[in-house]
Amino acid sequence: MKAVFISAYQAFYQDILELFNQLEIRGFTYWDEVQGRGHFNGEPHYGSHAWPTLNCAFLTMIEDHQVEPLMQKLRELDKTAPQQGLRAFVLPCLEML
Amino acid sequence: MSIFQKSVKNPITTALIYVAIVIIGVYSYSKLAVDLLPDLGTNNILVLTSYEGASASDIETNVTKPLENVLNGVSNLKHINANSKENVSVIALEFEYGIDVEEATNDIRDKLDLVSSMLPDGVSKPIIFKFSTEAIPILMLSVQSEESTNALYKILDERIVSPLSRVEGVGAVSIQGAPQREINIYCDPYKLDSYGLTVEGITNVIRAENLNLPLGNMDMGSSTFSIRTIGEFDDYAAMNDIVVGSFNNRNVYLKDVAVVKDTVQERVQEVYNNGVRGASIIIQKQTGGNTVNTAKEIKKRLPELMETLPEDIKIGVIYDTSDDILNTIGSLREAIITILILVVVVVMMFLGRWRATFIIAIVIPVSLVASFIYLAITGNSLNVISLSSLSIAIGMVVDDAIVVLENISKHISRGSKPKSAAVYATNEVYLSVVASTLVLLAVFLPMTTLSGLAGVLFKQMGWIMTIVIVVSLLASITLTPMMSSVMLKAQHRSNSWFDRFQGKFERQLDKLDLWYSKVLGLVLKWRVWVIVGALVIFIASLFLAKVIPTEFFSHEDNGRLTVTVKLPMGTRLEESRALGLELTQRFQENFPEMIHCNFNVGQPSDQNTFGRLFESGSHMLSFNMRFTKKTERERGIQEISDITNTILGEYPQINTYFVRLGRGGGAGGQSTVVVEIYGNDFLETDKFAATIADKVLQDTRCGSAKISREEYTPEVSINFDRRKLAEKGLNVGTAATLVKNRIGGAIASVYREDGHEYMIRVRLAPEFRENLNDIRQMTLFTPQGAAVKVGELAQIDEVLTPPTIERKNRSRIVKVEMTASADVPLSDLAEIAKDALDQTELPQGITTELAGTYQDQQESFADLALLMVLILILVFIVMASQFESFVYPFVIIFSIPFALTGVLLGLSVTGTPLGLMAMLGLVLLIGIVVKNGIVLIDYTILLRERGHTVEESVVMAGRSRLRPILMTTITTVLGMIPLAIGKGEGAEMWNPLGMTVAWGLTFSTMITLLLIPMLYASFARYGEKRRARKQRKLLEKSAAQSVVE
Repeated sequence: MKAVFISAYQAFYQDILELFNQLEIRGFTYWDEVQGRGHFNGEPHYGSHAWPTLNCAFLTMIEDHQVEPLMQKLRELDKTAPQQGLRAFVLPCLEML
Repeated sequence: MSIFQKSVKNPITTALIYVAIVIIGVYSYSKLAVDLLPDLGTNNILVLTSYEGASASDIETNVTKPLENVLNGVSNLKHINANSKENVSVIALEFEYGIDVEEATNDIRDKLDLVSSMLPDGVSKPIIFKFSTEAIPILMLSVQSEESTNALYKILDERIVSPLSRVEGVGAVSIQGAPQREINIYCDPYKLDSYGLTVEGITNVIRAENLNLPLGNMDMGSSTFSIRTIGEFDDYAAMNDIVVGSFNNRNVYLKDVAVVKDTVQERVQEVYNNGVRGASIIIQKQTGGNTVNTAKEIKKRLPELMETLPEDIKIGVIYDTSDDILNTIGSLREAIITILILVVVVVMMFLGRWRATFIIAIVIPVSLVASFIYLAITGNSLNVISLSSLSIAIGMVVDDAIVVLENISKHISRGSKPKSAAVYATNEVYLSVVASTLVLLAVFLPMTTLSGLAGVLFKQMGWIMTIVIVVSLLASITLTPMMSSVMLKAQHRSNSWFDRFQGKFERQLDKLDLWYSKVLGLVLKWRVWVIVGALVIFIASLFLAKVIPTEFFSHEDNGRLTVTVKLPMGTRLEESRALGLELTQRFQENFPEMIHCNFNVGQPSDQNTFGRLFESGSHMLSFNMRFTKKTERERGIQEISDITNTILGEYPQINTYFVRLGRGGGAGGQSTVVVEIYGNDFLETDKFAATIADKVLQDTRCGSAKISREEYTPEVSINFDRRKLAEKGLNVGTAATLVKNRIGGAIASVYREDGHEYMIRVRLAPEFRENLNDIRQMTLFTPQGAAVKVGELAQIDEVLTPPTIERKNRSRIVKVEMTASADVPLSDLAEIAKDALDQTELPQGITTELAGTYQDQQESFADLALLMVLILILVFIVMASQFESFVYPFVIIFSIPFALTGVLLGLSVTGTPLGLMAMLGLVLLIGIVVKNGIVLIDYTILLRERGHTVEESVVMAGRSRLRPILMTTITTVLGMIPLAIGKGEGAEMWNPLGMTVAWGLTFSTMITLLLIPMLYASFARYGEKRRARKQRKLLEKSAAQSVVE
């Protein structure tokens, strides 16, 4: 089992949801408004006067074989609008209830 | 879920809500009445009290003064004007505009009840009567007839007046100049005397002869019959053979002593249309009725009514107020359409995409149409004020939508899908869109609180702008994102001619952006010089304020003149008529553009309610002249009026004359300055008024000056000697009645023909009542039957009666009413009046005051100035809370003085005087101008928050915000140009408004773009330095502390 944390610009919400459906990923957690900024380029998403945009975040626990297709699709999605910002992080999931 | 998220998710609901608004709006529009101005309502209430037999000064002391004293306590009262003349006291109570008339009327009634017991016996109950501008006729028709003159009244009354009175909205229809038929029995006094007959005797005989009497019922067989004598004359000539007495056992017939004549009333008002005797029909609307609708109904009925008339009677239109209104509103409507097209073209040029332009353009009709719903609900009309509000609004309503749409397309171009871009992009900007709308509301909402005349006029503008702006805000955060989510696509350039053209335009804009950022860099370097330069420009422009004249409303050229000419009192009708015809000819020769010239002379009959409202007499000529449309002639109405003044000035026999333009008074009419002269002494005040009138007339800028106090009227007084009367068994009352029967005539009976009744009047033949001696020779019979001459009983003299005593605010007053010559503004006229007053020594006991339109102007300007201060404070509050700072709003406020500079410059360049509409433009400018500053400063602050330095932020913000600022400014300024340069009918009214906004906004935008960033930079740097100093101090302090430790 792996945990995938996706932090992306809000407008990607629908697209990411569609990816989950395509890849038959059922369970996830979603945060509507989160703030953040990337390591490299890209604008901060603070929802403030200076940086009015906001991010959303997904956390999903999936089987190992599902990770690669998901990451692949997310990469493609990011490429469609590189300036908007979409990042995903894969972490080990140690235990489940 | 936010409102824009909902609207994007439910496009059908969103679309249909706006479709519904549009449908209700269009429906309301179709129901809206058209009028020139918002309903001004009544602000005058008249109290009429008659006291038969009292002279003007008796009326003043016994009736007018006690009434004035109690009426003074009526609330909301502005002025009390009172006229005391023989037999009657007329008190006009002038209230503030916009008051509740019913309440005021009740208040007056209560006050009158208080005083009624204190009035002398014989004073009638005071009559209260509401008077408004609506008493002014809406339609005046001319009637020309060749053959039917004697029967004209009957024909018109039957076939035109009665049917027209039934038309919805018509108040009163009066016929002027068509005399009523009357059967006159002209007696020869010598024959009467020799047969021992009297006028009264003949009257009684005729009354007794001309009778149909029911005599009861009778049963005959199985039926009941009613019995009647038929004694009424079926032919007036039958009266000739009535036996009126007997002499030496022989019957005396009426034809032996008198002539029976089927003629018309003797003293009548005569009407001439283009020099031909005829009549005129005057139609007034009902209170609250709509001029345009009523006139439309009348004109619909008129052709069918005209068919019923004999062929020789021709009916024409002398003037039609509804035409003026429709033309004025029509030219304003054209201006609005031009503005709409211009705004859409500008948006298209800047955005370069059809779809985006469509999304923006759709907001315009949606928000404008919403204001029609408001107008329909509140019962308001489509008028100059509401339509000019709309034309101002067009340029403003697109602003919010543009901001939203720009952000959405930015997101789409970055790769977001239209649907999510619409939601999140709107989320980012909606707060600042709301804030900038609040600034506009801070300008327009206070306008709804205005009172007085300016209040009645501009309340509607305040509400319309508020509604339109709120609806456009709602549309920009619901409809715009929804439509963008459906219609917008990532931009791709095609190679059409427009794209190439727009591409070029965009490259020019890019160059402009670059150039502007360079200029900004320079400005930041030469800070002190820029400040000094701006200050010099501003102060220099203030000097212009001194030379710019002021006015109230520019008067409208609706192609109408009314002229009143007064000959010396007592001039015979024939003399006045001859002069009237001569003047008509002179006017026709001098004014080829004149379509119709109508004048009336003489006293109107009792049936003519309209005519009775105005001063008239055999010595007075009233002209109504109509000219071709303003656009179809070269000379303006002012020029024509000046020529008329010159022509009238050539006639030495004319005592006074007064030329008025168009409607006269009020908004759009001719402006007047009235010098009010208060004083108790008639002679002193008369003399003073004459001096002032002479002095002001010496200045060619003053077109005319009219003194309100009438001259002394000549009259014949018959003073009966009571002792002599008593000896003959008579009293003043009977003797006076007997004389009246001989001169004025006694109504004997009525003559019936075809269901119409005509008076039968008995009196002496005209040749026996021509001079004082004829009166002296009149024979009266005493109760004992003895004959006595009037000359034996009474002293008969020609005397002068004192004129009407006019009072205002409880003091006697004489007014000198001045009008200006062509192109002379109101302030110059007031200046002339002031100079004349300064040069003339004020006799003791006399005080003066300037009133008229000038006073209205002063009051309205004061109201608007106060409003401006209030608006400035509110705008500052809104900005301060938006930026959470006192400094930035202060910086932005600096663009307002330069709007004033632009306005002053514009007014002086075009030679337009500063009127109410221009003042209004200045008020609007506060909101519009400040918006630009907010856009600029807001983005600069944003850049600083993103970590840029002050200078960097200022230059970058300028570069990035130049385009939106230019776009909103250009849409507004271009929107104002059709208003500013419109030439249609009535355009004089809104030209100054368009001009002020266009000049003020253009100028202040140029200054804003340079001065505001520079001031911001200075303040921001000062703030940074202060903060740095504070920090340094704190550091030093903590360092010192750690050393101590």
